[in-house]
Order: sequence, then structure tokens, then C-alpha cells
Amino acid sequence: MMSRTSRLSLQILMLLVFSLDAVSVLADKPVVELEIRDHLFWPSEVVVPANTKVKLMVYNRDPTSEEFESYELNREKVIMGNQKAVIFIGPLLPGAYPFFGEFHPETAQGRVIVE
Amino acid sequence: MLLNSVIIVLREVLEASLLISILLALSGALGMSRRWIVWSLGFGLIGAIIYSFGVTVISDWFDGVGQEVTSAVMQILIYWLLLAATFLVLQKHGVHQLSDKLTILVMAATVALAFVREGFEILVYIYGFSNELPRFMSILTGAVIGASIGISIGALIYYFVRSLSYWQSLLVGLSLLALVAAGMLSQAVLLLIQADWLPSQLPIWDSSGWLSETSVTGQLLYALIGYEATPSALQAAFYFGGLMLLLIVVAIAIKVRRQRGCESHI
Repeated sequence: MMSRTSRLSLQILMLLVFSLDAVSVLADKPVVELEIRDHLFWPSEVVVPANTKVKLMVYNRDPTSEEFESYELNREKVIMGNQKAVIFIGPLLPGAYPFFGEFHPETAQGRVIVE
Repeated sequence: MLLNSVIIVLREVLEASLLISILLALSGALGMSRRWIVWSLGFGLIGAIIYSFGVTVISDWFDGVGQEVTSAVMQILIYWLLLAATFLVLQKHGVHQLSDKLTILVMAATVALAFVREGFEILVYIYGFSNELPRFMSILTGAVIGASIGISIGALIYYFVRSLSYWQSLLVGLSLLALVAAGMLSQAVLLLIQADWLPSQLPIWDSSGWLSETSVTGQLLYALIGYEATPSALQAAFYFGGLMLLLIVVAIAIKVRRQRGCESHI
């Protein structure tokens, strides 16, 4: 009989193996581009495929810094003024994942729609 | 605007403040000087200023994921330093005392590193508003309030640990330290997933409905035990693996102490 800990570690191992597998299959990741202008995200909604890793390119066209933040996506990254940032997201289950600019949350808001 | 700056600064300060208060309480319990905190914070501040100037260049490293990698390296370093601190704290008052200096050096390096990570974000945030004076004042006020709350929570933990007996304070202090350390490791894994250096996976659970990361409790638990509402298997594995390694270090430290104790009686 398998103990609970060994079963758990086996499950974790399986998860690791499966996800490594998923990564190697999807070698060329789709790129999605976003812009920050006047503390707004353009577009404010992006659609990405489900169960796929996506490379998010965020261009900050403002002279001021911003922090891309999403609790739902588990992402957080400072983007200095007039700079770009690479953020990998996914694979995700279908649904809506809000993100926001932490430094200007009253205007900088958007969503990733996973289909 | 004001409320937002309170929250942003509080979040960053809280993490550093918890770490500082636990380490200070431990060095206090061991009867060591706590003056190290002054120069440690000084070095941390200098580091944070340098990092905030260099972040544009650093971000471009490794095909645009330099920020994640640098931050993850700092967090992994903090984990190892906390491992060393745990060992040294348990050696103290053994028969062959390892020098206080080494313990202080490890603690000070930990705090300085944590301060670079958290301080940098606050600096970048506040600096971004420096050319809009009315807003800048509001942001600054919010930052001061946020920092004060964060420091107060740290002070509360410090006095709580200090109010305990010697062994209790060591037990509570080291347990809190272990949770912070494991949280650091799990955050580092998350950053490396974001950088695509580690494979990403679907979360193994979703407790956001039960306890949201955005809630006050969620934020506090995030800072204290590295709470994540939707962690991946890798994160969880490193979190619990990190805790396990710490326990092993504790066991070794206690064994070494006992052996030394026996030798001295011969």
C-alpha cells in the first residue's frame, strides 16, 4: 500500500512531467501585444487560446513607470517609462482574467479572455 | 489615489518589516546587539536606489526577463541566508559558540537584500509622480501611512516574540522565519515561471473564493506565509521542500549542539 506522502509526491511528479511535455509541444508561443498610453491599456481586452502559453509584450508608451499586476494570472512586473516588458502567461483554463496597472489602478485596467 | 498608495507601500513594507522584526527579536533573545539593523537598512537603501536606476538595463537581460531572474535570485539568496541564520541561532549558547559576528552578518545581509527588493518598487512608484506636485504630495502621504502601518505590524510581532520565554521565543521566531523563507522560495519559483525559465502549469487549487489574495487577511498571509490562492504544483513543491530542508537544518543544528555538549562534559 502506498503511503499518503509517496502518493502525493508521485502526483506532483506526474504534474511536473505533464507540464514539461506541454511546454515542449508548444515551442513557438503566440505573442500578444499590449500598449500602455495615458495610463490606459490598449487594447483593454485581449483574447488568447486556452491551455496555451502566451508571450505578452507590454509596451509602456507613457514617460512614467507602471506595474503590470494580476492576481488571477499570478503576474507582477514593473515596466519603466518608455520601455517594454515580456510577460509569459498561461496555460490557462477558459475564462476572464483581469489585470491592472498597480500604479494607476483607477484607469489602467484590462482583461485577458481565454477561449 | 491616497488609498492606493497606502496599499502599495504597505504591501512592500509588510514583507520586509516582518522579516526585520523576527530577526531583530531573535538577535534580542540571544542577547546580541541589534545595532546591525541600522547599517543593514542603509546598505539596503543604497542597493534599492542603484537597482531602481539600473532596472531599465536589467529588465532587458535574458531576452526581457532580467527583472524576474534578478528578483528570483535575490529571493533564493534570502532563503539560503535564512537557512544559515536558523542554524546559527540554534548554535548560539552551545558550548562552542560560533561568533555573534557571523550571525549578525547573515541577518544583516538578509535584511539588506529584502530591502533592495521591496524598496526598489516603492522608489520607482513614488518617483513616477515626482513631476506632478499635488499628486506627489498625496502619494507621499499615502506612502508614509502605508509604511507606518507596515512598521507597526512588525513592531507588534517583535514585542510579541520578545515577551516570550527564551525557548518559546526561539521556537516562535524560527517557525515564523521558516514560513517566510518557504514563501520566498515559492515566490522565486513563480517569477521563474513568469520568465518562462520553469514550466508553467495549471493551479493545483483555487482558494480565491475562500480567501482572496486581495483581501487584508490574504495580503497579510501572503507576506507571512507566502499565501497563494492559485499556486502551481512546482510552487507548492518548492514551498514544502523548502520547509523540509529547514527542518533538516534544525535537526542537524540540535544534534551538533548536543554532541558539543557531550564532548565538553568528558
